[in-house]
Amino acid sequence: MKKSSLSRLMLVVCVCALALAALGGCSKKPAVVTAPAPVEQVAEPIAEAPKPEPVEPAGPDYANLDPSQYGIEDVFFSYDQYDLGDVSMGVLSKNARILKEAGVTLMVAGHCDERGTIEYNLALGEKRAKAARDYLVSLGVPAGSLKVTSYGESRPFSNGHTENDWAQNRRAHFERP
Amino acid sequence: MTRLLKFAFLAAALAIVTAPAPAVAQGGRAEVEIDHTAKAVLKTDLRMGDFRALSDGKEVQETAARLREIVANDLLLSGLFRVGGNGFKPAELPFSWTIDATVEATAGGGPVTVNLNLLTWPDRQLVLTKRYRPGPDQVRTTAHHFADEVVRTAVGSEGIALTRIAFSRGRGDRRDIFVVDYDGEGLLRLTANRTLNLCPDWSPDGAETASGQVKQVIAMEGLNLGADWSPDGKELLISLSKGGDPEIYRITPEGKIIKRLTVSPAIEISPSWAPNGRELVFTSDSSGTPQLYMIDREGAGKRRVTFEGKYNDSATLSPNGEWLAYAAREDVVTQIIVMRPGGEDRRVVTDASWRNCEDPSWAPDGRHLVFASDRTGASKLYVYDVVEGGFRQLTFGNDPDITPAWSH
Repeated sequence: MKKSSLSRLMLVVCVCALALAALGGCSKKPAVVTAPAPVEQVAEPIAEAPKPEPVEPAGPDYANLDPSQYGIEDVFFSYDQYDLGDVSMGVLSKNARILKEAGVTLMVAGHCDERGTIEYNLALGEKRAKAARDYLVSLGVPAGSLKVTSYGESRPFSNGHTENDWAQNRRAHFERP
Repeated sequence: MTRLLKFAFLAAALAIVTAPAPAVAQGGRAEVEIDHTAKAVLKTDLRMGDFRALSDGKEVQETAARLREIVANDLLLSGLFRVGGNGFKPAELPFSWTIDATVEATAGGGPVTVNLNLLTWPDRQLVLTKRYRPGPDQVRTTAHHFADEVVRTAVGSEGIALTRIAFSRGRGDRRDIFVVDYDGEGLLRLTANRTLNLCPDWSPDGAETASGQVKQVIAMEGLNLGADWSPDGKELLISLSKGGDPEIYRITPEGKIIKRLTVSPAIEISPSWAPNGRELVFTSDSSGTPQLYMIDREGAGKRRVTFEGKYNDSATLSPNGEWLAYAAREDVVTQIIVMRPGGEDRRVVTDASWRNCEDPSWAPDGRHLVFASDRTGASKLYVYDVVEGGFRQLTFGNDPDITPAWSH
């Protein structure tokens, strides 16, 4: 009997359960945040008028907003690179201030342009996401509030094949987990 | 449960029909001297003779016609023969072959009886005869089995007519594992679990029971990428990023780590065993760009293999150890490269008209290579013949096909 008799075969399949994170991530309509009506102060000539309660403006409903709606920005990378430039570090500093206030848990997802191999791009995307995550943590964002994943080249933001499209697709993107 | 967990699965292919065991070969072996050292580049002439239906009936007629077509195609695809029909006049020197067959209804009913014969040409000495009783769904397997017997007898090498190619089909992060026969027939879907199934690999032996079930092997935090079975089937190579960035590990088929082989802050992925099982090739970007390296199975003796180009990945050594195939960035597209493991004879197999090509995988004959190219838009699989330099398209359709793995 031939060695490669195909009656019994075994496969190893590397399954990247990239889950459904981002599918749910961007589809929901953001809840509308209504600013409280300003409290009208009527001048009354009566002394000892009750002092109006100081009204705090309600904060954004972070849990139901896409991170971009409360000022979180993505960071972009050069071809085949995962180090953060000055611009990216500036963006992440701003993100860090917002995240510390918001106290939300976010997913940092690494993306790559279509060039290169699928496997290498999955690894590269993870490196990009971790670079962004690690810098945020170094700025005081709790490590537990940032998850990382990589979509490699599988979820491009721009579907064209020019350098402009590719530049859009090399990023660490922030999304609801 | 975080969503960054990625899973590797052990999948068991659906059992195919067992290759019909040939009945005892009949007829004496002819006294034929066969020079097995002849270079494969020199094709042997082979004439497809008559495949005669000896009894009436649709199944007998159809079986004869299908067998002739499939055997001829197998021998053509092997690259080893110049195949012709009845009118073909094979060269008489140094030697040539002819194949004929008879198909007849079996006394007492049941599957038809097939006799397939390999004879020398033109003196018609019988060298090989095989008898089969294939059911209607076993005609293809029977033809493939006989074609491999012809290759073994006439050329002295192992044929690939019974091999198959596993691959990932789908878009984005919804991809499933499919299997197709080496000639593009018999497409079969193996998974339907609505996640990203990538990088299948065949175990070297058939030791695991097949039932169509998918078994999870490893689910570490981070990326679990690119499992590759060791030649003895006892362990796997995998790239895991659970420690921070992807590193190469040897694991058991149960998912237990045997040994971590690389330690660096860079990306280490795409591990692939050398056929001797003592070394492996992998990709590391520790130099600043992804390049190929080899180390031994204990992680020692690291040496860089590629120095040309800024992007080399997905390396795999041919089963005879003679060739290294990999994917490399050439200008703006990724192309398939074949070279000797020592770096000699480097040639770019594809050109820009093939657009992006990746994930080469060797056939067990060490001559044919399957890879993915998006030259028609969606990524499809193609087979390359290293000896002759020809290509053929293996899979069709609109869904992208990636990460092919040729069975052993």
